[in-house]
Amino acid sequence: MTDRNAFLEKIADHLGKKRDRRVQPDVSTHLAETREQASARADRMRKEARDNAPALLGALQEGATAQGWVVHRVPSPEDAADAVIDICQRSAARSVLLARMEALSRVPVEKTLKAAGIDVTVAARPEGEAYSEEARLAVRRAAFTADVGITGVDYAVAETGTVVLHPRGGVSRLVSLAPPRHIAIIEKGQVLPSLDELFALEREAFHAGRLTSSYNLISGPSRTGDIGATIVQGVHGPVEVHMVLIG
Amino acid sequence: MEVKTRAFKGKANETLADPVLQKSLENVYSGFHLRRIQAGGATPGWDEQRDRARAIKAHTIANLDYYLDMLVRNVEAKGGKVHFADDGKEAARFVVDLARSRGVKTVIKSKSMVSEEIGLNDLLEAESIEPVETDLGEYIIQLARETPYHIIAPAIHKTPEQVAELLAAKSGGPKKTTAKEMTAVARTLLRDAFQRADMGVTGVNFAVAETGSITLVTNEGNGRMCTSAPRIHVALMGMEKVVPSMADLSAFLRILIRSATGQRISAYVSVVNGPRAAGDEDGPEEFHLVIVDNNRSRLLKDAALRESLYCIRCGACMNACPVYRKVGGHSYGWVYPGPIGAVVSPVMSGLKEGKALPFASSLCGACREVCPVRIDIPSMLLHLRSELAEGADRSQRSAGVVDRASFRLWRFGMSGRGRFDLGARLVRFVLWPLSRRGWTGWLPFPLGGWTSTRRFKVPAGRSFVARWRNRQGGA
Repeated sequence: MTDRNAFLEKIADHLGKKRDRRVQPDVSTHLAETREQASARADRMRKEARDNAPALLGALQEGATAQGWVVHRVPSPEDAADAVIDICQRSAARSVLLARMEALSRVPVEKTLKAAGIDVTVAARPEGEAYSEEARLAVRRAAFTADVGITGVDYAVAETGTVVLHPRGGVSRLVSLAPPRHIAIIEKGQVLPSLDELFALEREAFHAGRLTSSYNLISGPSRTGDIGATIVQGVHGPVEVHMVLIG
Repeated sequence: MEVKTRAFKGKANETLADPVLQKSLENVYSGFHLRRIQAGGATPGWDEQRDRARAIKAHTIANLDYYLDMLVRNVEAKGGKVHFADDGKEAARFVVDLARSRGVKTVIKSKSMVSEEIGLNDLLEAESIEPVETDLGEYIIQLARETPYHIIAPAIHKTPEQVAELLAAKSGGPKKTTAKEMTAVARTLLRDAFQRADMGVTGVNFAVAETGSITLVTNEGNGRMCTSAPRIHVALMGMEKVVPSMADLSAFLRILIRSATGQRISAYVSVVNGPRAAGDEDGPEEFHLVIVDNNRSRLLKDAALRESLYCIRCGACMNACPVYRKVGGHSYGWVYPGPIGAVVSPVMSGLKEGKALPFASSLCGACREVCPVRIDIPSMLLHLRSELAEGADRSQRSAGVVDRASFRLWRFGMSGRGRFDLGARLVRFVLWPLSRRGWTGWLPFPLGGWTSTRRFKVPAGRSFVARWRNRQGGA
């Protein structure tokens, strides 16, 4: 492969300059903002999201509906579990895949689903067990055969009707992707107004050494317009996506 | 990808005469252009977002060496590997060698224009590694063994009937009739590939220097599949794709997605910060970022063309272009069609070979107006035209002897009062007998091209100056 320095020297040369070791970021980019400023801004954003939680939940409902989510707004975690059962039964689901997330420990999904005779798998290796190729493949097989995948969310974004998921232990990348139906459970206080807040918070997570290996913004069902410019849902990801909003 | 820019005129004429293609091309306007216009109008602060994105791009490209260096260090800090490739051959060779060394038999691919540039699929096949395109449009194109027609909608020229035949032949099943049924067939075929493949190859929409991340924008979910299911992820990126900060992504995603399809956001945006972390359930164990030049340096070097590297590949200029909408994507003969393609394709793949492309424009300016980062495409087309006619590099000149002689004569005639009057008298003398009511339908060589499709207004019987003199004398 081409040597890195040779490659970068050539670029500097074409720009008619020497290689810069230090560049003052232009004011247009957020890089111009110091870590302290970024962190103070992130704190303000979190506070605003908490203070405006009820209004943001309403805005999310609107944004999500426009993006093709089916939105179910319920008052309590128990009602959320009922909404989940209802969705699963309506789509005649036989097997459900769960992420292991905090929200799902508050919503009694597993118990209620099992009581309804639906097969439930947690898409994660048992807590404490080390990662292995077999464990990864087992999760993948489960994801490709399940009828419904259920997750909580790490953030939701009202502007774009988006849920954000950080893969990590307990949260496979495939639960929200491979099964034909995805249900995302959202609690009050998780909603951000816009993409600006989301990416500012992710940047702050990086500064704090908390940035995850990847994250996904999910804004409605999988879709394509590649055949005759007709919109079809459910290409590689879910054909149907549900948001259960608690609060 | 094979360079066929020389065939522009022939291909364009074929497309113009093909009623099926002309019908498909109407989708470009109704399906994309009108939606983009609506989306822009409905977005508060739309123009400010564009200005900001442009300013960020200008700053980043002006300091590209610095930001690429920052990107590399941060990717490596998270356990990713970065590789540089001067040209397409080197980049493709790298991916194939990596696949072989890891015992990969099947490679799943999310849409990547760089991969088209470097001809990756052909090289993989030559080494008996199966490449599977997973963007539905790209998959259709791969089944048809063609090249993309449009950077956002690669198979927009294929009728549903043609797609049905391709999918039936591949699946061995019956021919489907609706887009929904056909999509279901493709879903089943590709699900198998997602589970078999050991390597995912993707493009990069934006790379973030500060965090060492890459971003993928898709609607189908194939980008997510390619970065979730296989154990190796290779991302191919043109060297201009870097932005400084993660917090800059919101502005870029807003303008990119609205400009591409008119959506507020695509169904999926994936941000990849490296290989899987120790505690993750899944995700690739290896992450490789390949940064490709492949003659982008030529665009960088020429200050008049540098801003073509601000392009975020939304395709809006194609949809807005009255020429693209008639001659279609294949006429341009290389990876990037349409107005931005008429600038970058000839420069990247050979200016003399692609000499027809900078002329494939009426310079109406619709592309500049619609471009989310306000790239001045018409000025760059004019710059390339002048390079072709009288550029410093004589080997790249392509204007014919007759053209050059005529323009020299024109300049001589127009730059002296007496010569101008003489010329005007001469033109009047030659053309007046051939004209009817002041118009002629025939001009002598080399001007015959003008009158082959329209008439030419002959200068008036007496010049303005002569009439003025006459009036002054009579008063």
